[in-house]
Amino acid sequence: MTADEIVAELTAHGFEVERVADGREGLLLAATGGFDAITLDRMLPSMDGLAIITVLRGAGIETPVLMISALSDVDERVKGLRAGGDDYLTKPFASEEMSARLEVLLRRRGAPPDPVLRVGELEIDNARHEARHRGADLRLMPTEFKLLDYLARNPNQTLSRTMIFEAVWGYHYDPGTNLIDVHIARLRRKMEAAGARSLIETVRGAGYLFHATA
Amino acid sequence: MRLPDLRAPDLWRTTAFRLTSLYGVVLVLGLAALLALIYAQTATLMSQRVDRAIEAGIADLRQADAEHLPARIQQDVAGDVRRMNYFGLFSADGVWITGNIDHWPAGVVADGPATDVAAERRYGGDLRVRAVRLPWGEQLLVGRDISQLAGVRAILLQAMLISGALILVLGLIAGTMLSLRPLHRLQALQDASQRITHGDLTARLPISPRRDEIDMLASTVNAMISEIERLVADAKSVGDTLAHDLRTPLTRLRALLYRVQEEVEPDDRHRAMIERAVTEVDILLSRFRALLRIAEIELQARRSGFQSVDLAALLRQAAELYEPLAEEGGVTLLLAEPLYDGLETTLEADPELLFEAVSNLIDNAIKFTPSGGIVSLALYPGPALVVVDNGSGIPESERELVLNRFHRGANATVVPGSGLGLAVVAAVARLHGFTLDLADAEPGLRATLRAGPKTA
Repeated sequence: MTADEIVAELTAHGFEVERVADGREGLLLAATGGFDAITLDRMLPSMDGLAIITVLRGAGIETPVLMISALSDVDERVKGLRAGGDDYLTKPFASEEMSARLEVLLRRRGAPPDPVLRVGELEIDNARHEARHRGADLRLMPTEFKLLDYLARNPNQTLSRTMIFEAVWGYHYDPGTNLIDVHIARLRRKMEAAGARSLIETVRGAGYLFHATA
Repeated sequence: MRLPDLRAPDLWRTTAFRLTSLYGVVLVLGLAALLALIYAQTATLMSQRVDRAIEAGIADLRQADAEHLPARIQQDVAGDVRRMNYFGLFSADGVWITGNIDHWPAGVVADGPATDVAAERRYGGDLRVRAVRLPWGEQLLVGRDISQLAGVRAILLQAMLISGALILVLGLIAGTMLSLRPLHRLQALQDASQRITHGDLTARLPISPRRDEIDMLASTVNAMISEIERLVADAKSVGDTLAHDLRTPLTRLRALLYRVQEEVEPDDRHRAMIERAVTEVDILLSRFRALLRIAEIELQARRSGFQSVDLAALLRQAAELYEPLAEEGGVTLLLAEPLYDGLETTLEADPELLFEAVSNLIDNAIKFTPSGGIVSLALYPGPALVVVDNGSGIPESERELVLNRFHRGANATVVPGSGLGLAVVAAVARLHGFTLDLADAEPGLRATLRAGPKTA
């Protein structure tokens, strides 16, 4: 995945993109501010990506950073996140996955955590860890609740299975396709049994999408 | 096997110890021969002197006539203060007449050679006796105490025993000292070889500054290991580079296909074909991912990610993650409760990798268990985690192979997945120093992941 492709993908998604191919210049650009998000390669000429993020965070600049690296080693991921990266993506990746992750980062930054999320007749209560439809408890298991919560808080965008697995279960590896599918299927059944429309759409070959425009 | 400690059999097996012991035995034998020779010479010399004394005694007594002889004998007996000489006068038919030999000693023949006679109660010690027939028919016995000779023999025997024992003890000590060094070196060599056997190809056999024959051998072996390390690294990097370089165009291919899929009309007859193509690419990608994952785990020799992990909690989480998948496949996922029951369930591990390994074990069990089957999870002391299914199992001949990264079981072709799940588990187990054991559950597979090395 080259920088050109990243720029093309992000532009296609309606982002305005500025790019530099050098670590030091990148740091300067990031520091002058005004950006909503940064994709940062771990390996850069003149300054390492890890050093850039450390300096940025040290200077109090909290722009969300998606780190991109060929090193998928767990240690590397942990290092990247500890240094202040918000998410970590390993090469090679599908460009949709990258833009989806960036959108999640932007939303996380923008939205102040609301304890009760309302989507149509659905209420997702983070304080009491329960989801209600027309006031009736859906009786979700903790994991099912976390799954619904994550989907609902990132609506109208495709979320890949890896992203869902990372966010809900907290592990960073490929869980295999149908593992997430069966959890989604179960959540859908519970929602439909309660009379709620499922709202969760399967995006073939990509992941899932939660419709917030009920 | 590592020598746990220096034991007698190990000591005995060293060349130095055997040689030293052999020298000791030879030395003792030589000493015995020497002392025996000295004894023989001394004995001969002393016997000759005794014989001469006896002859002199006989010659002296022969001068007396039949009438005066008993008196001479009594006089000689009385005059022998040191009680060295013994005399006896017997009639022609063997009846005692006089003298302090009052009993014809067995084995002595008149006019025969001087004969040694074992000590009897009345004499001081052993005697050497010669009998002669006097012209008038009486028989004269003249003997001499030879206990001195016995004394010499005892001294020599004692000398031999003491010096022999000393030589043996000193030999054993010297042998042990000489063998300890080679044994310690051997132990260092064994330690290094064991590290190499366990996959640490950067380890080398130690070489001492002496540059002796062991060192020559060690440096030859080291050169061999370097070559193996180079080849293994080559093979690995070719495989990994291949997997990585192929993954990039494959990801692009998938993205392209995906875009086409988005653009074709839902009722287009090509849509199904494009979807199948995407699925095929996904399978390829998942295999590459698994291969790279194994390479990553194997490269992660450091244990920086290690922390205390509660295996019971981890197993519960994994069971919860897989329960819907099992249900969909009509498989019952059983968690043997209570998981705790006084068991030590915490261990040092990388929680992410351990969870991945446990998940793969469960995933594998569910995949190979037909609808209506049971997959059960349990913890045993160790701690050990056991996943048992009653599916098709793995034939014994294939159990080692499935832990390999390029092998899929013969019956695995119908089952989706990278086919590398167990190889990933094996890689994680290797990294942690855990043991992965596959056994027959009759029917099905019993997979055990145990903290700690393999025990017999």
